[in-house]
Amino acid sequence: MRRTVLSATALACAAVLAGTVPAFADGASPVPSPRESVTASPAPAESTAPSAEPTRAPAEGQVSVVPREAPDTGVAPAQDGSGAQTGLIGGAAAAVFAAGGAVFLVRRRRATGA
Amino acid sequence: MNPPSRRAFVTAATASLLVSCAGHRADPETGSGPRSTPTRSRTPVNAARAVGRSVPVGLRIPVLGVDTPVIRLGLAPDGSMEVPPVTAHDRAGWYRHSPTPGQVGPSVIVGHVTVGAYGDGVFRHLARLRRGERIVARLAEGAAPEFAVTAVRTVPKADFPADEVYGDVDRPELRLITCGGPRTGDGYPDNVIVFAALSSAGP
Repeated sequence: MRRTVLSATALACAAVLAGTVPAFADGASPVPSPRESVTASPAPAESTAPSAEPTRAPAEGQVSVVPREAPDTGVAPAQDGSGAQTGLIGGAAAAVFAAGGAVFLVRRRRATGA
Repeated sequence: MNPPSRRAFVTAATASLLVSCAGHRADPETGSGPRSTPTRSRTPVNAARAVGRSVPVGLRIPVLGVDTPVIRLGLAPDGSMEVPPVTAHDRAGWYRHSPTPGQVGPSVIVGHVTVGAYGDGVFRHLARLRRGERIVARLAEGAAPEFAVTAVRTVPKADFPADEVYGDVDRPELRLITCGGPRTGDGYPDNVIVFAALSSAGP
């Protein structure tokens, strides 16, 4: 009888020892299990109007090089045609002046010759 | 306690120990334990998933009638962002140091508001966009992720919000940038920035 009790006790102890495993945080494997990414899921789902402001993530470097200044994406257009108009007016004035000078020279030459 | 009952007690105790040990080992191996259920439920059912890296080759903004090729841009020698060339057929440009559209992070695309003597630039009316309106990128590998506008901001160039534009985010987002504000002799004093988030990974 005593042998039976001792055998049973020894068996129970063996079972407890066999069941003792290292206390890993996730599962029985000592290799770290891949971390579930809670942040990788885009939030807006099917909505066409997601939240107004972007949310920050703890990771860094999605934009690997941040430019120095604001992009210069506006080359001002020509002054709405006013530049061309100015050129036209200047040219006309020069032509009138030249014509006047020519008339003056012709008259003066005729006057001298007469 | 007589011998038979004592024997029965010892046997029962041993059996219960063995059963409890076996039960703890089963959970991690099969993955059917109570821990795996909340893990699966973390994934939103209808969330638009990020797409793989693929360079953008086109951009559509249906409400503005914009449908433009997209070129690649880098950094100018002074450290500022390159901009598309000033030509008659103005195009948008993707900043190649940012994620491609549909990847997690802020993908940056810039375009001119005006191109000098050539008139309007490809992003001439960007400031007219409103929250919820659609932007579609065309990627080199065929995907066409869709974005929904979340905010449109006009900010002085001197106070350009670099952190908000280039800072990390936890989902695929898009930034469209051009110039804006009242035109002066030198150009434009402000930047128009459109913030958008992925709404559909597209076909």
